[in-house]
Parts: sequence; C-alpha cells; structure tokens
Amino acid sequence: MSHLETFLQQLINGLTIGMIYALIALGYTMVYGIIQLINFAHGEIFITGAFFGLAVFSLFPSLTQWNSVFTLVLMFCAAMAGCGLLGVVIERIAYRPLRKAPRLACLITAIGISFILQNVLMLIWGPVDKSFPAFFKHSALTVGALRITFMQGFIITTSLVMMIALRFFVTRTMLGKALRATSEDMTAARLMGINVDKVISVCFLIGSALGGAGGVMYGMYYNTISFHDGYLVGIKAFTAAVLGGIGNVPGAMLGGIALGMLEGLGAGYLSSAWKNVFAFLILVILLLCWPSGILRKSRNE
Amino acid sequence: MSAVVLLILVALPLFNHNEYHLEVLVSAGIFAILVLGLNVMTGYCGLLNLGQAAFFAAGAYTYALLNVKLGLSFWVSLPACVISAGGLGLLFGSCVLRLKGDYLALVTLGFGEIVRIALNNMDSLTGGPNGLTVSHPVIGLSPKSFDFGIKSMPYYYLTLLAIIVTVIITNRLSSSRFGRAWIAIKEDEVAAACMGINTGKLKLLAFCAGSAIAGFAGWLFAGKQGFVSPDSFDFITSIMLVAMLVLGGIGSISGSIVGAVALTVLPEILRPLQQYRMFLFGAVMIVMMLFRPQGILGGMRIFEEFRPENERVRQEEDEVLSEDLRQ
Amino acid sequence: MRQKVLIFVCCFFAVISLGAKKIGVIKIGCVGPITGDQASLGLDQLHALQIAVDETNAKGEIIPGYRLEIVSLDDQHNPSQAVAMAKRLASDPAVVAVVGHVNSSCSLAAGPIYQNARLTQISPSSSNPEISRKGYDTFFRTCATDDIQAPQAAYFAFTQLKARQVFIIDDKTTYGKGIADEFEKEILRLGATMFGHEGIMQGDKDFTPLLTKIKALNPEVIFFGGMYPEGALLVRQAKALGLSAEWLGGDGLYVPAFIVLAKEDAEGVYCTFIGADVRSLASAKHYIETYNARFGQERGPYSAYAYDASNIIIDAIRKTGKLDRQAILAQVKATKDFPGIVGVTNFDAKGDSTIGLIGVFRVKNQAFEYIGPAKK
Repeated sequence: MSHLETFLQQLINGLTIGMIYALIALGYTMVYGIIQLINFAHGEIFITGAFFGLAVFSLFPSLTQWNSVFTLVLMFCAAMAGCGLLGVVIERIAYRPLRKAPRLACLITAIGISFILQNVLMLIWGPVDKSFPAFFKHSALTVGALRITFMQGFIITTSLVMMIALRFFVTRTMLGKALRATSEDMTAARLMGINVDKVISVCFLIGSALGGAGGVMYGMYYNTISFHDGYLVGIKAFTAAVLGGIGNVPGAMLGGIALGMLEGLGAGYLSSAWKNVFAFLILVILLLCWPSGILRKSRNE
Repeated sequence: MSAVVLLILVALPLFNHNEYHLEVLVSAGIFAILVLGLNVMTGYCGLLNLGQAAFFAAGAYTYALLNVKLGLSFWVSLPACVISAGGLGLLFGSCVLRLKGDYLALVTLGFGEIVRIALNNMDSLTGGPNGLTVSHPVIGLSPKSFDFGIKSMPYYYLTLLAIIVTVIITNRLSSSRFGRAWIAIKEDEVAAACMGINTGKLKLLAFCAGSAIAGFAGWLFAGKQGFVSPDSFDFITSIMLVAMLVLGGIGSISGSIVGAVALTVLPEILRPLQQYRMFLFGAVMIVMMLFRPQGILGGMRIFEEFRPENERVRQEEDEVLSEDLRQ
Repeated sequence: MRQKVLIFVCCFFAVISLGAKKIGVIKIGCVGPITGDQASLGLDQLHALQIAVDETNAKGEIIPGYRLEIVSLDDQHNPSQAVAMAKRLASDPAVVAVVGHVNSSCSLAAGPIYQNARLTQISPSSSNPEISRKGYDTFFRTCATDDIQAPQAAYFAFTQLKARQVFIIDDKTTYGKGIADEFEKEILRLGATMFGHEGIMQGDKDFTPLLTKIKALNPEVIFFGGMYPEGALLVRQAKALGLSAEWLGGDGLYVPAFIVLAKEDAEGVYCTFIGADVRSLASAKHYIETYNARFGQERGPYSAYAYDASNIIIDAIRKTGKLDRQAILAQVKATKDFPGIVGVTNFDAKGDSTIGLIGVFRVKNQAFEYIGPAKK
C-alpha cells in the first residue's frame, strides 16, 4: 500500500462516517434553527432508530434473509417512522410545555429524556452489544490496494439522496417555506397564518426521522449497536452541526463530512488513542477562528 | 433558618454513625461545592459551562501529583490545587469567552472530554487508567497525629467546613461590585458594556473564580478518596452538575446546595430499583422541570432574568398578538 | 421547602435502616456497573452469583437458621461510587463477603474499606496486578493477573504462531493496557519486532483509521488487549479493509458474544483464557446450561470466574457455620484445591489465583476450539 493509497483510503473511510454524522447533525441543526434549542436527546433518538431497524428482524423472523432489498426498505421505513414519531412525542412532552421557561430547563428535560431512552433500550434489548445484520458481506470495489466496500458506497449514496430530498423539501414545498419563515421570525410567521406548533412538530419529525435513518446505516456499517452509543455519536454530530454553522442545513452536511475526514486523518496519522480529542480540538479551534461555522449563517433554514 | 439547618448538619453524625449514609452526604457536599462554583459562572454571569469536571479534575490531580511526586501533604497542597484549577480556567477562558451561549457550552463540553482523555492517555505522568493512589489528610505531627483515613466522619466535618467557606466566598462575591456587574452582563452584555463595565475581564473573572472553586472541591475529593482516576471526571459528572444547579435554582446559593444533595441522594433512594433506577431518575428530572422550571429554590426574578431580553420581549408580543388574533 | 427536603432525607435513612435488620439472612454483596455503558459486565457478574446462591438455597439452609441473600449494588464503574458502595456493604452487619468489583480501578479504590471492615472481597475480573500488591489481606481474585496471562500469550505468539512482526492495540483501560504492556515486554524480550503499540477508545466504533495504518505496515500478528465489543469491531473492520494478519487477544475475547458480534470474521482469531477448556468439565457444562436457560446466550467473559468466586464464598460460609466476617475471611484464605469450573483454585499469599495455566483457543466453525496450553 503506497502512501497515497493509504491517504485516499483514510479519506473514504472518513467520508462514510462523516455522512452518518451529517444525517444526525441535520436533526440538531433543524431544531436549533427553529427554536434555538440544543436537543440533547437527539443522540438517543438516533440510536433508537438503529434498534427499530433491529426490531424489524426480531418481529418478522421470516424476513431474515439478510440481503433482500425489501427488508432494507422496511428497516429504513420502520426506523424513520418510529424515530419521527418519537421526536414529535418528545417535543410535546418535554419541550413544548417549557417553551416559555428558561432555556436551561429544556436542557434538563432533554437529559432526563436521554436517561429514559437509554434505559428503555437497555431494559428491552439487554445491556450487551447487539449484533446488527450485515448486508453486502465485505464485497468491495478494488482499485489497486484501495478498497471501497459496497456498504460504504450504499451509505454515501443513500445519505446524499436524503440530504438532496431534504433540501428540495425545505426550498421547494409550502411546508418548507413555512419552516423557513418560522425560523426567520416566529411571530411574523404566526401572523401570516402559519401554524407554528405544527411547523415545529414537522421539524422534529423530519430531524428525528433522518437521525433514525442514520441509526440504521450506523448499525449496518458497524454491525454492532449498543444502547449507550447514542451519546458519543450524538456529541460528534452536534460538533458537526456547529462546525457547519448551527441552524444551517448545507452547513451541517459539510460539517459532518469535514469532521469525519479530519477525525480519520488525525487518528490514522497521529494517534488513535487521541481520536476523540481531535474531534473536540477541531471544534474548539474552528469555533475560535470562525465563530459562526464554516458556512456563515447567511440564511436560516 | 440557616442556623437551624447548620446545627442539624453538625449534630447529624452523632446520631447516625452509618458510614454509608455519611459517605453519601460527603459526596453530596463535594458536589455542592462544585455546583456553587458553577453557580458563579452560570448563575451569576450566564456562562454555561458543560465541562466543570475538567476543573474538578485539575484540582484533584494537582494534589495527587504533588503528593505522589513531591510528597507534599494534603494541607500544603491546597493553594496549588486552587491556583492550578483557577489558572486553567483563566487560560481556557481567555481563549473561549468571546463565544456566546450554546457555542460556549459546546466548547466547554469538548474541553471537559479533552482533559479526561488526556489524563487517561498521559500514562507516565497521571498513571493513565490506573490512576494514582494518594495519602489521606493528617492533622498534627507524628507521633501525636490524627490520620483521616477511610472513615467518613472526619471528611463529613471537613466538607461541611469547606461548604461554609465556599458559601461565604460566593455570597460575598455576589453582593460585591463584581457580582452586580455579572448580573448586568447576564441580563444584557451590550448594555453592561455601555455602562462602562469591562465585560471581557469580568466574564473571565467569573469563569476563573468558578473553576478555582471546582479545584478546591477536587482537592477535597482526592484527599477523601485516597485515589484519583479519570473515571471520576467524565462528561456525565459535568452534565449532572448543571442538572443540580438548574434543579436547585440557578443563581441561588441555597438552591445549589439543595440541588446537589437532592440529585446525589435521589439515586441512592432509588437503588432498590436496580436497573430501573436511572429510568425513574430521568422521569423525576422531567417532571421536576415541568412543574417548577425555575428550580426548587429559584425565585421568579431569576426565572425572568435568565431569558435573553429580546426573546422575552418577543414572546410577550407574541402573547399579546395571539390574544388579539383570537378576539 | 427546606423542611420538606429534610423530611425527605430523614425518610430515606429510616427506610434504609429498616431494610438492614432482617434476621436469618446472610448477605453476599455484589458490586459492579449495572447501569451505564458497562452494564453488561456488572449484570453478568450478578447473574453468576444469582445462579450460585439459588443453587445453594434450593438445597436448604446454608447453615442452620440462615438463608443466603444477594445485595446487588451499582458502582457505575466510578471509583468514588465504588467507595460509597463498599462503605454501604461494610456498614451492614449481615454482609459477610463481596463478589466484585468488576473494574480494577474500583477494586483499587474500595480495597482499603473492605480491609478495614474485615470483609472478604473476591473479584472475578479486576486483573490489574497492582491491586494485590497493595497488601489488602481481604482481596482475592479468581481471574488471572495481567502479568501471568499476557507473557504466556506472547510466548504462544512467538513459538506457535511464529510471530516476528507484531502490532499491539489496547483499549486504554486498566485491563486492556495492562495485558498489552505485559505482552509487549515479553514479545520484545523474545526477539520479535514491534511495528507499533496504539490505543483506542473504549466505546468507540470506528477503528478504520488505525487499521488502514496497520494495513500499510503489514504485521504478521496483531495483539489486542481489550474487551470483545471492540475486538469484534476490530476484526470485522480489518477484514473489510482486506487486512490479513492473525489476531490474538486475552480473556476479554473468550466469550460467545464475541463470535455473535464478529460473525464469520471471528474465524481464526486466537484468544487466551485461564485454565484448560472449561466446557470439558462436567460442572462447567451444568453451569453454562443453567446460564443459557436463565439469562440467554450472552454470557460475558468473566462469568465463569464470577461463578467460582461466588462458590468459594458460599463454601467458606458453610464451613465457618456462623455469621462472622473474620472467620469467613480466614476460611477463604485457607481455601485449598477448590474445585471450580475454571480449574482447581488456590490463592497465593497476595490473594491471586494460583492457576498458572493459560489455555489458548481459536474460533473455528463459529465456536471456540481448544488448542492447548500457551506454554508447555
């Protein structure tokens, strides 16, 4: 393996995990953009998505042919629908009653929700890491010593498609317009006849559904999921959202990819024991240099 | 009222010798000091810090290193612990304090993790995951010395004393010139700057004071524990400290202490529930916030204060407008 | 409000002290993380103790008038919690011995409390050699210490696998780093070349950056000091990258869950474990069946050690015949040739298990196959 090949391999690996970060980061960024709330429970929502995907298998044993496209689609549907609903419910129970309370009160309820979700997952699926079905085995596209597994290709394409769909939704549909209007000025939006509560619910629905999809991809990529995975990945996705400028949808995508790649390169070339330090160092340094993220928050989305 | 509470607390160990109960109260006390420190940053000055554990660790490891490498005693190490944690706060704060609100919160969170991982990875200095074994405090000179050892009782009184000292300091701070300036900064930074307050310097001072108090708690913790390892300073600790502060009532000294005691004792009460206890703990936190978002002892004034001014005005307008629309 | 809080605190103490005064019960403490990210290890230890205690109670009263009971406590692998829990056990006179703690850092922190309370502590998984060197006479363990297991693993890698170029990975925990460091010392002494020794973060999932780097170095054997979740991820990601080196690990990998997680990529992975092949023993077979029936297939790596630790304590209580910590401690100390499921157990002066035999296993057809002792 030449140096160049090693470098490119690191970039591809970083891109894959970066795409997953980006999907989760979208959930943080959309919620923040609209009600200026860090949804600390989003990391747990994300991993719940992976467990929803796993549940599809345990509930329908006949579907356990691990390579059927149908199963794959069903898993994504279950995770996205389940997480979307979960997000809406969490907003209703824990955030909406507190919309007029101090901001930090929401932080506490978010932590409370995290504890509950984590423990529910542990009580249902047990404390042991769960095996997640593997699709595509290790089949890969090989260029020299460079390997791009089908799984990686699948994750990169699917996330791209989802992000493009989201972009389309936000910029081209009426609801998307309402979303943008609400994040711009909630009062004015309400005056224009927009049902702000509904818009916020939609925002939680979409953000959490994307997180759920990210969860399924995460499970498929690593083949192992555990109830406590939400926290670390959640924090990193949040870092990605801030990197790109929180409240900014394309920024979250770029932030995710940048974080994935930088982290990979840091761990590969410097030291893997310090991997998480790189993620946070990047965060600290970038925030100091560009306090509003890579993409300036020119427009709220 | 406070005299009665103090009297009860002083007398408590005489009636209850149970080591475990005292141990829980000592932990609660150490958390209370940490929360009091956090209160200076977050409650007085509005700087949300999600990495308080880093400064806690700075104090604890300073004592551990001075004790292990140089053989310094517990009492002699105190100034070094407070200064090192405060210095770390000063250094870090001077870099990041121009960030605002949630951005600052996130950077402090990252900092907390960086410190913990660094402690875990710098094996030759900190012992890495194995941690460091340090000596317990000793009073007097040998042969007539008294070793605090592993009994909880001496630490109980030491912690009580430490809390009293911290309360006096933070109380003095809050009613001082600085305290009033901090409140002004929290209310509206621009307006505060216009009134001639050097906001940068004062924010740094609040951050430094809060981290120094955390260092003080770290010193006490290391001495009590007789052992330090990175496990004690994880992200959950920092988050729990913020939860204690918010639950007790932001900006309130008695609230900080009540919050710390409540969130330390509550999981202990829930212990018979085994694995279900963290579930119930989360539920209690949510219900608490829904019914009393300003915290147990948080006053309505503080409740109003903590929302950014423009947002509050906007929300009030919202209410008026929506009522108008309904009519 | 303050009064309410006070009443609250008082009620709490009242409840606790009521619970402590039952008659006719001998309690065994069980401390480990049973919530949080390492809950599986703590619960696994608890399950083993539950099986042992239930088996004993099913046979009738352990000593006339007494039944066994478990006090399960959660230390959240946090040393300060561990100290509080140790004090809690120490202050309950019905507790005569403790199985735990799971983590070496917790055993280190809690050791002095147990010694002061004359409370026997047998850990099934705190394998850091430092603990027994502290000289707490109440500390025992049924697992192998890192400085026994790892050098034998290194000897095996050098002589049997003919490893001359190795790469070492550890998970930066007391356990993982402990065995990785000992492995490194021994394999270098034997004359192999080390291409690198890197740490990973426990709980992390993505190790491809490190593995990509290792692929470019192309070592013959990779030693992993750590637990099975990270181990499974490492071997899977290595296969996906097309890495061809042999994998060798410690007892943290010798669990069915490792194969479940790593699936077909677990094939050919070597790991070491104290004693010979556990499943060949009749007693072990019975235990594994009971465990699988009650708690499912996901037995953890230290389950067998925990079961042995529990039975040594139960045996000592039975022989002592009374509720006396000091006597039970003396009895445990005098344990001679205890027929456990990992082997015949004795304790040396420091409290470490004297089973010096380390067996090597290899994954074949999705099961562990016994290869033989690491060092003849």
